[in-house]
Amino acid sequence: MASTEQTKVGVPSGKLSKAGVLSFLSAQGILIFFLIGMFVFSFFSEQFLSQSNIMTVVRQASIIGIIAVGVTVVIIGGNLDLSVGSMLSFSTVLVVDLHDKIGPTNAILLMFALTLMIGAVNGFLIGFLRLNSLIVTLAMLSAIQGFVLIYSGGQNVDIANQENTWFAFFGRGFVGGIAVPVLMFGLLAIVIQVVMSYTGYGRRIFAVGGNPMAAVYSGIRKNWCVFSTYLISAFCVACAALVLGSRVMGSQNNVGQGYELLVLAGIILGGTSLLGGAGSIWKTVIGVLILGFIQNGLLLMGYPYYIQWIVTWVIIILAVWLDLANKRKRLFTSHS
Amino acid sequence: MFKKTAIAASVMMMSITTAQAETTYRIGITQNNVGVDSYQTTYERAFEAAAAREENVDIVVLDAGGDVARQIGQMQDLIQQRVDAIIIWPTNGQAVIPAIRQAHSAGIPVIVTNSKIAEAGMEFIAAFSGPDNVQQGISSAEMMCDALGGEGQIVQISGQPGYTTAMERAGGFEGRLAEACPGVELLETQPGNWNRERAQRVMEDFLTKYDHIDGVYSGDDNMGVGALNAAKGAGRADDIIFIGATNFAVGYDAIARGEYYGSIYQSPVDDAEAALQTALDVLAGEDLPKMNFFDTPKITAENLEEFDRPVF
Repeated sequence: MASTEQTKVGVPSGKLSKAGVLSFLSAQGILIFFLIGMFVFSFFSEQFLSQSNIMTVVRQASIIGIIAVGVTVVIIGGNLDLSVGSMLSFSTVLVVDLHDKIGPTNAILLMFALTLMIGAVNGFLIGFLRLNSLIVTLAMLSAIQGFVLIYSGGQNVDIANQENTWFAFFGRGFVGGIAVPVLMFGLLAIVIQVVMSYTGYGRRIFAVGGNPMAAVYSGIRKNWCVFSTYLISAFCVACAALVLGSRVMGSQNNVGQGYELLVLAGIILGGTSLLGGAGSIWKTVIGVLILGFIQNGLLLMGYPYYIQWIVTWVIIILAVWLDLANKRKRLFTSHS
Repeated sequence: MFKKTAIAASVMMMSITTAQAETTYRIGITQNNVGVDSYQTTYERAFEAAAAREENVDIVVLDAGGDVARQIGQMQDLIQQRVDAIIIWPTNGQAVIPAIRQAHSAGIPVIVTNSKIAEAGMEFIAAFSGPDNVQQGISSAEMMCDALGGEGQIVQISGQPGYTTAMERAGGFEGRLAEACPGVELLETQPGNWNRERAQRVMEDFLTKYDHIDGVYSGDDNMGVGALNAAKGAGRADDIIFIGATNFAVGYDAIARGEYYGSIYQSPVDDAEAALQTALDVLAGEDLPKMNFFDTPKITAENLEEFDRPVF
């Protein structure tokens, strides 16, 4: 993992100066903020640090987390994926609707195939045609949402026999006392973290995101690398759709709306730079959990919804600032 | 969107070329956001079907896609086309008032459907047609009171923040509950944004926060079923009374299974037909009340069979 983390806590060179302390604070700022936040939340709400609440928050964060793991890979590769929210709506509506028509096994297989196809389209346009990822995935966001509305005819879809289907396993099941969504989240995070840190493939993604030109000159097939990151992202979305559809046992056709922002928020909170070439899955997991605990904590404290959103985004902007300050080795810019 | 404009254009052409153009009313409708929810989608189909049954009605169907600016543009289009009446499902009860006023000054009667507009705009509309959401909140509070026998602790999961329907239902519920049922304490309200997954998360947090919850009031059944899912997951569903509004198919089924106490029956088909009828009555010069509410009865296991399973 060490090889993948390019920005590290600045070890003060020579004199232990104010800058050294500042840079430590800026690197660990969000963690400190998180710990203070946890302390405050636990002070106001005695249930906050209870085992059952922690389990609940982690389970709730799993859907965003599973997607964020995939999007982190895309971002490390130097691109963005804003279409994940719409894709989540698409995949969830599809798997829920097909569940009653062709049975759970076929529905899941077909849903994975079609979701990966959307990922392939994204990957082709961005990897091979070299179109801007922001524009492509923003366009896909609308296009896929339109497709969902046509497919569903604007109607909600529901699984008719909710009590009697093994499909419930993905959203509501437990294995060895751990909720299945949490298990999927953890497993995906570990596998992808290992791939990114310890395989040639992972190193190539970092290289492509860090310096595409150099990567190409060193013989990396950049097109394929970028293409593959979108397949990983789509695969993660399909997994998340499985959890979401099973958890709710139905789907609204705009169910994933706004998820792309929450996913990005989690990734940014974790400290992965949107510029590509740096970042880690592990940090994304932490970022997503922080996001989950903030929202849960504010809700337990009884804050109104608006306040929850404002506080969440203030914290995110703070995180971006700290991240940048860490790179500049100072909190404020000295010149305009 | 383009397709609808094309249909609108062809409808216009047809009405120009038809010999009986003088006797035909052209009614334009601009809706809020068809396709995002089942209710609005069903409403649109029912509206088109109802218009097709009327011999002397041509319709221009537009949808604002939830965008206030687009809806104002559509209002201006309809004024330009000189339709005989405009039905508007407001995207925002405040922001559409200038456009409604413009139609009013152009001599085109405006009928507001489903969601109310702000008081300042009421003098410019010919009539309102839709459900009485305050009354729905009141009915839900009465059901809650009955179900709990006047004693208990409840939580509320409200609709989209800032949305008139959500505020009216919550207001009606809270007001009536305090008045008729002082023994029932409303512990907390959080929005579920008409979204089942969000409601499920909110309810999970409520279940963590409160060891004792006797009832949940949800702004619609979609959220109510999310709350039910959460309670089932925590093994506490049997101790809690679930009451919702806008009876969805999932809510209907849950009432039938005995897991859900009750809801408010609100049919998008009634809603659409009432809007068209109100427009026709206005055009016929009938003396109408300004507020035309269609009936939204309480639905529980006892009278479930009197109602069709909702199609959405």
